[in-house]
Amino acid sequence: MEKSVATLDKGTICSSWNYCYQRLATGSIDGMLAIFDSYDPDSSVFNCSSRTKVHKGIIVKVVWVPPEFGDAVACICSDGALSLWEEVSEDGHSVQWKLCKCFQSKSGRVLDIQFGLSSTSLKLVAAYSDGYIKVYELQDPLELKNWQLQADFQNVIDSVSKFGKVSCSSASVSWIPQRCERQQLSFVLGYNSDAPQLNSSKVWEFDQAHQRWLPVAELALPSGNADQVYAVAWAPNIGRPYEIIAVATQKGLAIWHVGLHPDADGRLSVEVAALLSGHGGEVWQMEWDMSGMTLATTGSDGLVRLWQSNLNGVWHQQAAFQPTSL
Amino acid sequence: MTTKWCFQSTPKALTPHFALHSPAKMLEPVPDTDDALPLVPLSQEPVAYPLHHSLSHPVSRVSLCWSRGNSLRVSLFCQEPPESAIEATTALTTEDDGSGGVVVELSMSNGSSEIDDAEWRRIAYGSVAPFALLQNRKNSAVALSKLPIASLSNVEWWEYVMDYSKEINSLLVNSKLHPSSMIDDPRKIMKVIKEPTCLKAAWELWGIFYADKQHQAWLPECLVDWLADYDCLFSQTHPTVHSKLVDLQHDLVNLQTIEDNPKYWEGISSALAVGWLDIVVKLLHLHGCNQLDQIGSREVEKGLVDAVVFLVSKMPRLRSESVGGRLGECYKSRQDFNMAREKWRAKLTKLDCSGFWIQCGHQPTRDGLKNLLLIMLGDIDSLSASTCHWMEFYISHFLHMRPFTVGLESMYSLAQQCIQLKPVTHRHTLMGLLVGILGENTEVVLAECFKAFGPWMVAHSIELLSAGGEQSETILHQKRHNLGGISIEELHRIVYAQVLASHALTWQLAPIYLVSCEKQGMDLLEILLYRQPVQHNQGLLKILEYGRLYELGSVSSKIMMIAGIHHWKHGRKGSGIYWLQQAQDEVRLNKIALQLFDFVGKTVSSESFKQWEGLIELLGSDTKTAGGLEFLRKYRDFKKSLQQIPDGKVNDTARQAVESLMKLMKNPSTPQRFWLPLLYDSLKLLTWPEHPLLNVSETNLLLNKLQELSMAKLRPDYIDADLPPQALSSVRLALAKILDVLFSRSDNPFMQFRSKEAQTAGKSRLKKCHECPQLPHNTWKGPSICTKVVDI
Repeated sequence: MEKSVATLDKGTICSSWNYCYQRLATGSIDGMLAIFDSYDPDSSVFNCSSRTKVHKGIIVKVVWVPPEFGDAVACICSDGALSLWEEVSEDGHSVQWKLCKCFQSKSGRVLDIQFGLSSTSLKLVAAYSDGYIKVYELQDPLELKNWQLQADFQNVIDSVSKFGKVSCSSASVSWIPQRCERQQLSFVLGYNSDAPQLNSSKVWEFDQAHQRWLPVAELALPSGNADQVYAVAWAPNIGRPYEIIAVATQKGLAIWHVGLHPDADGRLSVEVAALLSGHGGEVWQMEWDMSGMTLATTGSDGLVRLWQSNLNGVWHQQAAFQPTSL
Repeated sequence: MTTKWCFQSTPKALTPHFALHSPAKMLEPVPDTDDALPLVPLSQEPVAYPLHHSLSHPVSRVSLCWSRGNSLRVSLFCQEPPESAIEATTALTTEDDGSGGVVVELSMSNGSSEIDDAEWRRIAYGSVAPFALLQNRKNSAVALSKLPIASLSNVEWWEYVMDYSKEINSLLVNSKLHPSSMIDDPRKIMKVIKEPTCLKAAWELWGIFYADKQHQAWLPECLVDWLADYDCLFSQTHPTVHSKLVDLQHDLVNLQTIEDNPKYWEGISSALAVGWLDIVVKLLHLHGCNQLDQIGSREVEKGLVDAVVFLVSKMPRLRSESVGGRLGECYKSRQDFNMAREKWRAKLTKLDCSGFWIQCGHQPTRDGLKNLLLIMLGDIDSLSASTCHWMEFYISHFLHMRPFTVGLESMYSLAQQCIQLKPVTHRHTLMGLLVGILGENTEVVLAECFKAFGPWMVAHSIELLSAGGEQSETILHQKRHNLGGISIEELHRIVYAQVLASHALTWQLAPIYLVSCEKQGMDLLEILLYRQPVQHNQGLLKILEYGRLYELGSVSSKIMMIAGIHHWKHGRKGSGIYWLQQAQDEVRLNKIALQLFDFVGKTVSSESFKQWEGLIELLGSDTKTAGGLEFLRKYRDFKKSLQQIPDGKVNDTARQAVESLMKLMKNPSTPQRFWLPLLYDSLKLLTWPEHPLLNVSETNLLLNKLQELSMAKLRPDYIDADLPPQALSSVRLALAKILDVLFSRSDNPFMQFRSKEAQTAGKSRLKKCHECPQLPHNTWKGPSICTKVVDI
């Protein structure tokens, strides 16, 4: 049964729910960041509680900072600007959203970001339009303004080759969902660009001993490592002996099984569990449910599709939903 | 795994209820995919369900997010129409809805639509205790016997399963006492005592086949009773004996001579075919020949009717006991039943061959009664004609044709024959379920159950199924790589837990099911607890209680840390520190301590003492920030004593303040940036009007500190305190004056003594200080202060 839980402002083009699904942040074409709250924790009706002008341009993506670091969002704007905004109350004043950090880059626009949480720190991976990935680390867990650039590399397996002038139209990042304290810090990232080597989704893992990021797996179909990647999503793992990562390319939705333990070369085993016809075009978003069993996707056909594996491990579309006006 | 059955999803395109993880889908035949990738083409996709929204403009973009459990929140963003279009639309509709999008929550958790949400919640809450009790019993039994569950086939264990089955069954009663049950109306042949649901019918079916081992020998009779209770449910989709009798009851009011009406005889024969003997007898009593005014003229007719009534009433039944005073002679043992049935059949045959039939002048009565005899003698054509759908036909077999059908295999083949003889256009859920059970196909049974009744039913009925036999038990408990290493049983518990988790009023029940999951339950429970809102203390405490109960210390710490940071950042600093301390988050507490340092450093001279005093108190002894917090506490003590000093009057407080000051200045953990503020704050002590409160060595120490500070000022990392520009010179002047006074008062024996002491400070002199006979006891209170000062 569907029910409406919030009505969005005019010009809203992106939205994001916080970790406990009690707050909604939306971004609009006039650069407004709107926050929706419910007054009762048990209620499922959300109303706008604050509007803040964060940019003169269009906000294309809003991402919540993990709750261990406060109520804060990162806003990516259409011109590639990236800023962090935090809800704080200072000196007894009422709460307000304040700018705490602007990430400046001369080389490229920010296309996508995601926050990754380790036992000790908060990391931010940003994919830039020049094909570079930048990993920032928060210096002070109480202050979201102090970030240090930890790494800066291109999304290629061979670290020697560099691509000078590339044009990336979109990128997608997904961290390994946090499971336990000792878990390796990893993320998967894919590009939609004119450079085939950059495109394919790679799993990057932080090498603690040498303090560097290493590509440990490449999720590319044998026939098409040049496929432009629309979206990636790392499934929560509540006890599987392998990881599941969904990668959406122009060929469709690929469900990858990735091994947990690296081989002698430090690589993780990968296997395509399924290749599913997606949305007949661009895939806008992919989201796994909390058990990592159901994948929800949406794309250029405007449909919401749900995907599951059956008892035999065969993936199939479980349902599709067509937005329909009453 | 081989699957004979392939059930496509019911085309419920417009039903709002949609169940995830449908095992019906899971049972679809698998193509040979050893080498090729299984590409699922779009042409095979099922119908898209409509996702209703209230937007008037077309949707340009969709964004989605899973909420707790398996609720999906979908943001629909409107296409911004061109200005001209807006004007035109506004002109036409005179108002624009003004929204740029809407967020719709899709709840994909409900099972059967026959039960509303509130009723589901009642059932969900009610089923927790029996489920938990059974799990406990199972765990203790396993722990004691160290054997797998399958080995626990003792009587006690069956009693546990039976208890569980009954407990759950009692929850599913939707009893509504019908007024008719209060009045014994002779013309009321159908009593509605409760409103049966398919859910309850299905649960009882499970109970009959899997849980109730006591009645296994009388299984066909159990099915007869089951159909008597639930035949009405089939009326929604099929003509049934029940609906036929309900129609007849409506007609009874208007019929004068009912025995002339074919419906009357049809109703009796149908009721007899499915074994509703009470109704048969009741209807036969309504026969006109029983009317007082007609007894004389219709003697033969009445004799025949009474004979049939007698035979119906005495029909032998292979069952333990008569339920609710139902008619028929019950026999527990097959042998007794056999003998009684032979005798009874002999009576039937005798009546059938009786000459009275020729004497009976009323044709419909003669034909009707004859037909009843045929039914009781097991005539297949009569049974087929008297029953409406294959299940009724099937049940009639047990009563009148094959009372000894035993074993699921023969029951299954009989069911198949009945399906072929009386096919149905639309297969009712319960029919599919029965066929699945009879076919001993665990997957099909689960699939049917899931499709019709949703995750609750499957999660709970698996307990019965796994108790039903080794084969089922193996299928249900086998770890499957394709499911990420979990069993079907665990999968369904997880799925049900997610359903519970998706609603604010039921998420608290989810942990009970998750902890019963051997492999993946605890991880999911951690995620579930982590994703609860913690801004309100009441909710937070509840989550922490769960964390404590299930020994999830790490997630509790995370939750308390989240709460701590939330409060800290939202101006509730005390609550923030409290929860961070509870979380034992040293990193953040140390950062807070450093922030306090900065804060104190800036406002040391202001009167904002109270603001941070409480925080220091809170940070207290638990925090292991070496030196830092120690300094803050000493500073607090000093500040307190400073505030308590009365103007110009020497007392213990003033001396304690001096003592605190000196402790602070000597302590290496006191940050340098606090030196000047401390001294500037202490100007009152340094410029004490009557006597200097410091001795020479103390004054010298402070002057040295000032000198050090002047040197430090030249370094780039020096942090300037927020003090007036003359602060340093004021302090230096005050200290100089003290020295001046101290040396000029050398006539004071105590000062002479102290001066000496100062030059050769050491603990060995302390004793002398105490022993000094010249020390006045009424001024300066020398020994005590001296002791303390020197002791430092």
